[in-house]
Amino acid sequence: MKQAGSSDIFSLKARLNRLKRDTNRWSVLTLAIVGFIALPIISIGVKLFAGPGETWGHLVDNLLVDYIGNSFFLVFFCSLLVLLFGVSSAWLVSRFEFPFRKQLEWLLILPLAIPSYIVAYAYAGIFDYGGSLELLLRVFDIDFFRIDMMNKFGLAFVLSISLFPYVYVSSRAFFLNQAGNLLEASTMLGIGEFKSFFKLILPLARPAIIAGLILVLMEVLNDYGAAQYFGVNTFTTGIFRAWFALEEPETAIYLSALLIAIVFALILFEKWQRKNQQVASQKASKFSHRKEFRKPAQWLIFFVVLIPVSFGFFIPLAQLIYWAVLTAGNVFDFDFLLLSLQSFWIAFVTAVVTVIFATLLIYFAKWSSINTVKSISKLGILGYAIPGAVVAIGIMIPTLALDKWIIGIMNDYFGISAGLLINGSLVALVYAYAVRFLAVAYNPIESTGLKVSKSIPDSSRMLGMGNFRTFLRVEFPLIKTGILSAIILVFIDVMKELPLTLILKPFHINTLAVKAFEYASDEMVMEAAIPSLFIIFTAAIPVIFLNRLLIKD
Amino acid sequence: MLIVDSLSKSFDKGKSFALKEVSFKLAQGDVCAIVGESGSGKTTLVRLIAGLERPDGGSIILDGKEVSSIKKLVAPEKRNIGLVFQEYALFPHFDLLKNVMYGISKLKNKKARAKEMLELVGLSGMEHRYPHQLSGGQQQRVALARALAPNPSLLILDEPFSNLDAMLRMQLRSQVFEIIKKTGVTAIFVTHDTQDALSVADEILILQNGKIIQKDQPANLYIKPSSIYVASLFGNTIQLNKEMQTAFDCPLNPKCDHAIRNENLSINEECEYVTHARVLKKTFLGTGTQLLLKLDNGQKISVVTKEREVADRIKIGFNSTDLLEFTG
Repeated sequence: MKQAGSSDIFSLKARLNRLKRDTNRWSVLTLAIVGFIALPIISIGVKLFAGPGETWGHLVDNLLVDYIGNSFFLVFFCSLLVLLFGVSSAWLVSRFEFPFRKQLEWLLILPLAIPSYIVAYAYAGIFDYGGSLELLLRVFDIDFFRIDMMNKFGLAFVLSISLFPYVYVSSRAFFLNQAGNLLEASTMLGIGEFKSFFKLILPLARPAIIAGLILVLMEVLNDYGAAQYFGVNTFTTGIFRAWFALEEPETAIYLSALLIAIVFALILFEKWQRKNQQVASQKASKFSHRKEFRKPAQWLIFFVVLIPVSFGFFIPLAQLIYWAVLTAGNVFDFDFLLLSLQSFWIAFVTAVVTVIFATLLIYFAKWSSINTVKSISKLGILGYAIPGAVVAIGIMIPTLALDKWIIGIMNDYFGISAGLLINGSLVALVYAYAVRFLAVAYNPIESTGLKVSKSIPDSSRMLGMGNFRTFLRVEFPLIKTGILSAIILVFIDVMKELPLTLILKPFHINTLAVKAFEYASDEMVMEAAIPSLFIIFTAAIPVIFLNRLLIKD
Repeated sequence: MLIVDSLSKSFDKGKSFALKEVSFKLAQGDVCAIVGESGSGKTTLVRLIAGLERPDGGSIILDGKEVSSIKKLVAPEKRNIGLVFQEYALFPHFDLLKNVMYGISKLKNKKARAKEMLELVGLSGMEHRYPHQLSGGQQQRVALARALAPNPSLLILDEPFSNLDAMLRMQLRSQVFEIIKKTGVTAIFVTHDTQDALSVADEILILQNGKIIQKDQPANLYIKPSSIYVASLFGNTIQLNKEMQTAFDCPLNPKCDHAIRNENLSINEECEYVTHARVLKKTFLGTGTQLLLKLDNGQKISVVTKEREVADRIKIGFNSTDLLEFTG
């Protein structure tokens, strides 16, 4: 028998031999999917070399300071407000007993069902001259005081009140599952509840809270509808202006690249802060019971928790319902029904396509035998961090290039003058949605997949089935709930999506989100209520349904 | 039928080796036990043979065909190896019949064959139950039936009894190996329990830190272990160092290490080498008594005896035929 030393095993030649052995079609396909998903971002990077547009210099001198200043203002103020609403309500529902606690626990998630731009319309209506607040005050014979919402402070409030549930969910998960023993130990040592929370629980919950906060900030940077309506200049409104008003793609691309840089800085910060945190005890430790005060104090807590729910959900919802009643006659018609169906249909097709891509990405990477490929596959989900407007610009570039190429060929070889095929078609729109929402589908599928023991597919293979048949016969039936939740989640996100849809939607096609935006932009904000309510209900019902599904699972 | 040649596997690019240059052969029809502590590389070894892991060096030849090397890898589904997993890995959404039929879907008489296999493992009549309705031992037997149904040329059992309690374990062990002998299949089974290995294997392979330290028949392994580590795997041993040798007055070859098995120590009987000891502590074990002894030269040792009643001062000794000698 030959003797191979360990040094030979890791020689370059041996490594190359193994790489050749381990390269299979799954590795290639994984990289192909990641490449396909990354194409928009790569395109933006490549296009940067073409240089900025004519107005770039002017923009840098006059507007860029505004964009950066406003974006940082929003990041800062939204962080403050979101932490205040999210962390406080999470602590109160997980630590104390009070009336309607169970109901409030899931009501606190519902603000996510209302897209921020719709919350913006509602609050603009409430505080406007002749708005709901003035009407209400007149009933009580109080002089009208007007709060001007249409500025960056109003925008920060609206974004925070509609996005705080991300922080609520992530910090509640920590408080419920990790804080029990810590607090008990701390109070046993004679440290008061209040002090324990600030000195002990909060620092330990920091990674969880910041993870939720980063999601909020990504949404803040992604927002277009609310900022545009309130007349605040941000990166996203700047991209829109460059693209549509100035018709200068180069400038839009430069702004996009800057925005990507900011988002990646946020992601790196999140990773860094998590690394700095020592690993807290992984053992779950729940509170043995919730603290019960006397009734008046309990009602006080109830009202405190009710504040974010009311501002984030009930008040805007009431305003929208009021408008909907007023405008039902104008808005409801056959065209509107058709539009809704179109919107549902697009969201459904996108959800299915995205889930297929996510599933393929997860399983191809699993079947690939090269660890580097497995790591690269994770890059496929970064699209969620990229603002919708940027994804849209990134999709425009390659699809336009491809279309031009096809038109050229058609013209040169067949003498046919064709129009744009992919750009401005549903294909480009669905492609963009898939890039942006792949992570939304990826996470539930991956986590249910992790519950299936590795030996299940292994034993199927030992019984003579290949990877693909193993997936169809054994793994797919076991991850069905994950796939279903993924479809629902992507469906909701597509229903709510605005900036990407505005840029990429085909001319003759409309969605409920775009319709609401168009009404609001055309000084018909009351008419925007009905399409908005359609979006809210389609988003809220699956949230509840999904909750059930996950509990059952 | 199975040749493993200087097989190596590292999970951290060569910083440490889960398996290092492991070589052995296995003849047709043999039952081979792979014994080692957790982390010794035994599961890695069988997963490499099954094709579920890829070697970093060396090769595996199955029935004269190279199935794993650094240039080639035959997919696990094309190896005709049956594998029974530690946690059984039955498909939870299929009933027993479908579980067993899974690997023989191309067979014409698959249903009859599956029923036959279930009968072989004593579970006929339960075809339409689901895995979660079965006890651990029953699940284990279904896993065995499922692995045997396609008539594998090699059967691997990974820690087959580790999830079962002691009583069931003994019972199932004899049942399972009866079935294996009946089918005549070549089998490898992984265990950390040496009792499992001694009682059923034709051959035992001992792994420590990813290397084979001994491979032999059970009896030989017990009588002539290659190291004190191997000896202690098969029961308590007492190392005979210099002080012990003086205590028993048995000068031994200084170039070798020596040990004596606990069960070969006799109390208050005539032996070649004896010494006296004071009993410091007696612990009742049920099957016997554990004694903490202080030998006359001050050495302390712990021995187990079948006697229930032991005097406070005893004579202890052994015979030269029971001596274990380790060279190198």
